[in-house]
Amino acid sequence: MEQEQLYTVVGGRGTMTVFEIYIKATPERIWEAITDPEMRKKYSFGVGTESEWTEGSEYRSAVPGVVEIASGENVEVDPPRRLVQTFQALWSEDVQKEGVSRVTWQIEPVGTSCRLQVTHDQLGEGANNELWGGWPMILSGLKTLLETGEQLDTPGSLMYAKAGG
Amino acid sequence: MDEVFKALADPTRRELLDELFREDGQSLGALEARLPMSRFGVMKHLKVLEAAGLLTTRKRGREKLHFLNPVPIQQIHDRWVAKYAAPWASALGALKDELEEEQ
Repeated sequence: MEQEQLYTVVGGRGTMTVFEIYIKATPERIWEAITDPEMRKKYSFGVGTESEWTEGSEYRSAVPGVVEIASGENVEVDPPRRLVQTFQALWSEDVQKEGVSRVTWQIEPVGTSCRLQVTHDQLGEGANNELWGGWPMILSGLKTLLETGEQLDTPGSLMYAKAGG
Repeated sequence: MDEVFKALADPTRRELLDELFREDGQSLGALEARLPMSRFGVMKHLKVLEAAGLLTTRKRGREKLHFLNPVPIQQIHDRWVAKYAAPWASALGALKDELEEEQ
């Protein structure tokens, strides 16, 4: 956790953003929802993420044949607690230019729930807010999925849901 | 959700969130300098916002940095607005299909 101190926070939205949510689910269920492509589609704009989920492996987030969203490397894989990934956005020319940033998923049990924190950092100064702007929708949708199991109608779950079939 | 609405009901706390929206990751000292209020007053408001999940903190050296956490506001949005967004999103999807076919 202390390694965040190495990175300086600067003006605008800074080089680091932090998103946090409490979910009534076990760490294992949350881990599954992050790493299972079919579950992930339901709360990530319809976009699945494929990977072997081992340290050093690559991941790819896409709706095949429709849109490439992101790719990168799984730098740290410690189920069901911590996942650190490099993040290269791919959905437009503008975001591609932003280069590689870093996303850290941290799951901590709190009572019968868990706190899930997503830290998106190593962003360039004045980085395009599209890079991290989707996290609140994604996390809110993840909570709904795990707590209710229902088919979601949150905005984050819809965008490519149709295109992906 | 009660805590979120209570936290948002106070203008000073909304101002603190505005301040973090403008520049994320600020220290207590920086926030204090922006508001005509004692350090203790600002701390009290930050505590309420943190308990409601509207901000989250990280330590950097001796400093505690405050980050706006918009997820609870997103949940409020999802609860009452999401169903209006559904047709909008599928219309955009259809528009995209159409534009791509034309190319």
